[in-house]
Amino acid sequence: MEIFFNILLSGILLGGIYSLVSIGLNLIFGVVRIVNFAQGELVMLAMYATFFCFAKFGIGPYYAVFLVAPLMFVVGLAIQRIVLQPLQSEPMMQIFATFGLLILFENSVLAITRGEGYSLAGTYSRAVIDIFGLKASVSRLIVFLAATAIAIALTLFLQRTMAGKAIRAVIQDRHSARLMGINVSRTYLLTFALGSALAGVAGALLAPIYTLSPYIGGNFILAAFAVVVLGGLGSVPGAYVGGLAVGLMEAFAGYYVDPALKQAIWFIIFVVVLVLRPSGLMGQVGAEEVGLREQN
Amino acid sequence: MTYRAGLLGAALGISMLATGALAQEPIRIGAINPYSGPVALYGDEVARGYQLAIDEANAKGGVIGRKVELLRGDASNPQQGIAAVEKLVSDKADIFVGTYISAVSNAASDAAMRYSKLYWDTNALAADLTERGLPNFVRSGPYAANFAEVSANATRELLAPALGKPVKGLKVWIESEDSIYGTSIAKRQKELLEKDGATVVGIGAHNFRANDLTDSVLRAKAAAPDVWINTGYVPDGNLLLRTMRDQGFAPQAVLLVGTGDTFETLDALGAEYLQGITVVGYPRPDQTESYGPGAATYLAAYKKKYERDPIAPQGMTAYVGVKILLEAIAAAGSVEVEKIRAAAAKMDKPTKSYATGFGVKFDDKFQNTRAVPTVVQWQSGKIVTVYPKEAAQPDVKLVNLPRK
Repeated sequence: MEIFFNILLSGILLGGIYSLVSIGLNLIFGVVRIVNFAQGELVMLAMYATFFCFAKFGIGPYYAVFLVAPLMFVVGLAIQRIVLQPLQSEPMMQIFATFGLLILFENSVLAITRGEGYSLAGTYSRAVIDIFGLKASVSRLIVFLAATAIAIALTLFLQRTMAGKAIRAVIQDRHSARLMGINVSRTYLLTFALGSALAGVAGALLAPIYTLSPYIGGNFILAAFAVVVLGGLGSVPGAYVGGLAVGLMEAFAGYYVDPALKQAIWFIIFVVVLVLRPSGLMGQVGAEEVGLREQN
Repeated sequence: MTYRAGLLGAALGISMLATGALAQEPIRIGAINPYSGPVALYGDEVARGYQLAIDEANAKGGVIGRKVELLRGDASNPQQGIAAVEKLVSDKADIFVGTYISAVSNAASDAAMRYSKLYWDTNALAADLTERGLPNFVRSGPYAANFAEVSANATRELLAPALGKPVKGLKVWIESEDSIYGTSIAKRQKELLEKDGATVVGIGAHNFRANDLTDSVLRAKAAAPDVWINTGYVPDGNLLLRTMRDQGFAPQAVLLVGTGDTFETLDALGAEYLQGITVVGYPRPDQTESYGPGAATYLAAYKKKYERDPIAPQGMTAYVGVKILLEAIAAAGSVEVEKIRAAAAKMDKPTKSYATGFGVKFDDKFQNTRAVPTVVQWQSGKIVTVYPKEAAQPDVKLVNLPRK
């Protein structure tokens, strides 16, 4: 029974990682209607930025997050303004552009690091909480708590603030939103930057857990796409719940079926959800159909 | 008379031109490796090994009267391997050497075959490379089966005695990444360990890009092995060890195969946790001079040229590989495939002839049968060669086994 609860816990903590990475991706998808292939690489860049803060200035990852997230916010602003906005009327080109960014970021980091696998020196990933034989690494627990806090804060932001309401209006119908006086371009800019900042938070908090490699973004992003489809396109609570669900399924499949097969689970989820409920668990029904409609 | 003198003069002129050209034309060795991409670090390291062997030969006046030159062909996948060979053929490469990525080696050696060029493999591990029987292929370094053999031998001769247990009945868990690289080694380890009487309590395979390996660790933990063996890459190896620590899974002995002996693992786990963990890997320059004559010279040359310690031990195996190649060329007096292979087939040097402790004796498939990995142990954040016994420095002792 202890094993069962340990698997349950590891699934929830893994789910926290997926939620954290997926929320930003889903926000960008819901609002800007771009499948941002470079989202995983934004997480990767943030991980390296965190490592840099630690290695050069001795700033630990849980402080560095307050530098890295704003930095990634600015990076997001720049990407949206310089790369994506000029392609606004060509949604397919925007997707290719994010794919181009993926390659650019990966190879730039590769060129700088020569592929050396960096790690934040042991100290930050060492602490473990043990409750009646259930073991949870503190660094993963922090990721889970951060994902939960961000999901709540973001939901409140979208529900309660004017900027949040503007974002929701754009999600529902950008043309009407514009008629109501909402600056749609600025909303895109803000959303993409916010999504990038969330990638920044994810990167900083994941840096103590993994060995950094230029390709690590890809490990998360495949799972994140399954999460987004399961949770519902554009839905913040959907991304959170979807992340937990995917984490749990992966953990249980890994232990009780076969660790080598667990990644197949992502794609089984992907296909089953797309066939049975294309809008996902919490997405707005019909939202998936407007995925690539004209955007000007 | 004028006619004859003219003819003589012309002939003399041509022959002088010819010898002049020969004297200047270097032997060009095309080195196929990833020099960009996620695995470029080790590609560069392997090429550094080649370069040091070539520098050494050139300092002695070259080989068969010609200087040796290294050309680089960047390849991290099979398609690039083929393209790199074609590019280097147009750059007049005479011979190809490469790489530690088996899939690239496979494709590049095929491509070299089409141009009737020798492909001399120094670092790839897949068994099928030599088993194909390709007529231009030679492998000077150890391959997957050697790593499996050394892990079984070390379990019997090193770990079991250190744990104070007979190998018969010793409980072993064999973990590996789930591609052909890891699973083929794991399969062979199982055969050999069971032959020795060890009890293989479980075999686990995991994806090396997995985001979480708690499942793999809990499975092994439930089987309570004495020895836990893992064959994989750096990221998954680090994640497994971290998860083992988090989950309180502490087998008495840990044996890593292939990776786990670089600063990348030290940075991730810290010296304290790694204390006592053993690794089957490429021979390292710290072994005794009697086991690896020239290892210290290699280390000094490396430090002088690159102003740092070697990044990974693959470089020394690459260095020895090219040394053997150059000896074969000297014996053949030629850079042609058949002549070098014929000369290589005649080579017979006992083990402990080179810096890596290798000897030379090729089998009929041109696999060097006298190239074996060694076992090292993490001791206070440093890597120390511990097996075979004659490779270990006399003052070296095993530490923290059984692991606490």
